[in-house]
Amino acid sequence: MTRKIDRRTFGKGTAGLLLGGTFLGGARSVRAQYAAPAEGGMRGGKLTVGSIVEPPALDPFHQGADARIQVTVLMYQGLMFEDASGTAKPLLAESHELSEDGLTYTFRLRRNAVFHGGRPMTAADVKYSYDYVRNPENGSPGAGDYATIEEITVLDDHTVQMRLSEPNAALLMTLTNKYGGVVPEGYFDDQAARARMNQQSVGTGPYMLAQFQPNSFLTLKRNPDYWNESSGLLDEITFVYLPNAASMLVALRSGRVDMAVLSRPQDAAQLEDAANLEIRRFPSFNQKSIDLDLAYEPLAPLEVRQAIALAVDKTKLMQAAIGGFGTVIGTMPAGMQEGWGAPVDELPNQGPDLARAKELMAKAGHGGGLELTLTTIIGYDWMDPAAVTLAEQLKPIGIDLQINKVDLGVWINNFRSRKMGFTFNDWGSQPDPSLLFYRHFHKQPEGADFRNWNDGPGSELLDKGRQESDPAKRRAIYVDFQKRLAEQVPTIMMFSSDHVVVSSRKVKNYRHHPTGWYFGLADAWVEQA
Amino acid sequence: MGGHLLRRLLAAFVTALLSSLAVFLLVRAVPGDIVAQMLGQAGGDPATEQALRGFFGLDRPVWQQYLAWLGQVLQGDLGTSWTQGLPVAGIVGQAFAVTLELGLLTLIVATAIGVPMGLVAGIHEGRLLDNVIQGINILGLAAPVFWIGLMLLIGASALIGWSPPFMYSSPGQDLWQNLQILLLPILSLGLLQAVAYSQFVRQSVVSALQQDYVRTAIAKGLPQRKVFFKHILRNILIPLVTFMGLILVQILGGVVVIESLFALPGLGRLLLTSIQNRDLPVVQGGLLLVVGVALSLNILIDMLYQYLDPRMRR
Repeated sequence: MTRKIDRRTFGKGTAGLLLGGTFLGGARSVRAQYAAPAEGGMRGGKLTVGSIVEPPALDPFHQGADARIQVTVLMYQGLMFEDASGTAKPLLAESHELSEDGLTYTFRLRRNAVFHGGRPMTAADVKYSYDYVRNPENGSPGAGDYATIEEITVLDDHTVQMRLSEPNAALLMTLTNKYGGVVPEGYFDDQAARARMNQQSVGTGPYMLAQFQPNSFLTLKRNPDYWNESSGLLDEITFVYLPNAASMLVALRSGRVDMAVLSRPQDAAQLEDAANLEIRRFPSFNQKSIDLDLAYEPLAPLEVRQAIALAVDKTKLMQAAIGGFGTVIGTMPAGMQEGWGAPVDELPNQGPDLARAKELMAKAGHGGGLELTLTTIIGYDWMDPAAVTLAEQLKPIGIDLQINKVDLGVWINNFRSRKMGFTFNDWGSQPDPSLLFYRHFHKQPEGADFRNWNDGPGSELLDKGRQESDPAKRRAIYVDFQKRLAEQVPTIMMFSSDHVVVSSRKVKNYRHHPTGWYFGLADAWVEQA
Repeated sequence: MGGHLLRRLLAAFVTALLSSLAVFLLVRAVPGDIVAQMLGQAGGDPATEQALRGFFGLDRPVWQQYLAWLGQVLQGDLGTSWTQGLPVAGIVGQAFAVTLELGLLTLIVATAIGVPMGLVAGIHEGRLLDNVIQGINILGLAAPVFWIGLMLLIGASALIGWSPPFMYSSPGQDLWQNLQILLLPILSLGLLQAVAYSQFVRQSVVSALQQDYVRTAIAKGLPQRKVFFKHILRNILIPLVTFMGLILVQILGGVVVIESLFALPGLGRLLLTSIQNRDLPVVQGGLLLVVGVALSLNILIDMLYQYLDPRMRR
């Protein structure tokens, strides 16, 4: 039994997929919240998604791994949604208001949101969930993001107020779906509650947990009580965890897997001849960068860092690392460039300019050469070819690059304890410049300053940007910050790799979110025979 | 005999205890713990880290952590997984069942192929058949297991359009699907062990053929069959059993690679991901089981000797 979903036409330019479904315009106003509205979408059916990365656990409050966030966004929801355009849009909140002084946010909540299991969501649950996640003692990696919240008050069953200690223009984006989500009041009172999240979901999302078999698969089933009737069309989604890219390609070809996001985008070339498969590219918020730790002695002189920035040829590095499947960037991930990026031609130290780089090396007293060690992470396929290419690019300015490969756990440990040295990095954030930059680049103790930059002017700009709520003024502040970043070179952002999604032709209306998280599955559907 | 067994068991217990200590210290010596893993590269502040370390008991001195863990283990409780929140015994047991099935089936396949090959080669020493089998052996020994596995996987998909299902089902859930999933892993591991087997059996037969008692048996006109089964085969049984134990241990080691390649939720893959996730209770419990299995196999083989070789019963 399938039921067709209709919708009212919204805006223009939504891909015209009128596939077999009767289109009944205007009959009922329903809207897909995460992706383009589903035209002629069919209910029912199952979808198998292949993945190489696997969540260590499914607890959105305590587990910071990206592989966890990818799937839990389908089960747990925050007040807001990180829209692909780079703005925060209402999700469990219906609307919000900001007081004149910029310190008090009032949220009206959706009245029809229901937890998995059937209990309606109220303001008390919202207060409980955000109070839990922001309390550092509860051990959530996201706690620091919420530090500016001073108090959360329940005004009535469907209204919540948050008072801040200082204006925070990034607050709405913080209330999206990376950490936490709204769960029933008192959920964590039970000691076993954290672990139970691997067996049973308690969120408000379109899908709920059916079974999680680590090292094998994860199955989600449709939430029959989901508040948005036009979303959550599939009966069942199964993520199967494959060990490597080779088995993924085999699985896609054989149709055992309906869809996968390729970990090595250039693998798409091996699937181009498969008639049953569709290959699509989506922009991303991620960035592949070279991080420079100023406490690592050879990188302490500004001239050396600038020389490296000038010797780097980002286009060639991207070619070597991921083929053509990405975008070279300046100081902002590709998906955020339009909204927040400084124009690349206005940024200093954008190479390659070998003559100037050599001059700077000589000025720093390294005319005779310099030895550097670059750290790469095991399991990040793009880093190996990129490291070799980088070594080639740095040779002409007298840098002899050694490559040191480490386990991810070891690397995270070094990064967090501010001993990263000279390293490749692969990261992203929610699409807000404050969330992107503040923790990474603000000097201590307010920021974590992982690269030991300790920069006064940069930190001042970050403070200003956080307090400014006018979008145009905010943008100008962050453009200044990016110029400072490019001038000082604590990091060299190289490129954003596209998300390359390969799917069977029966999969419809799937749009991959720039974060790489599977929001789009809420609105995808499969054509059934 | 009873005293000997008791001594062996005691020695095994001490070995297990020492290796548990070694494992415990080793996994804690690896930089980067579960807390850093959970917080990711940029999340959390010092208070959060502190709270999480307390939650996992990582804020206590290592010797206290060890004693607490050991006390639990001696009471038969392997603890709770830090990432999944389920009892370690259940997780490890489930994974071991997969590995054990794979190991035993591989052993059967390896024996069924390798022993006859070795016998034939040994009896025909120096002749064409022997050379052909030796050639196969050398090729087999030179090929790494992941390569054979990958070739089988890609080959099966490209040539006959078949690939194994990858959502694991146990033999109890769905035997047919279970066997389909295990087919390629068993073949890739089994072929490799079969050539090792065949090489070993050939050597044993060749050296047995040079023994005086065999020459005597042939000289006094015993039928060939009798010489072969009664004199040669009986005498190579002992080294063969030792070798079988070694092979089983080697298979259990080789499964880490094969389980990862074929996405089997066995002990090898469990240990690998648990180490990556720094889920120490699972790593400790899993390795303790591996040590236990290796020790039991040794004792079992020791006892088999005594059964096979009357001289050792004295």
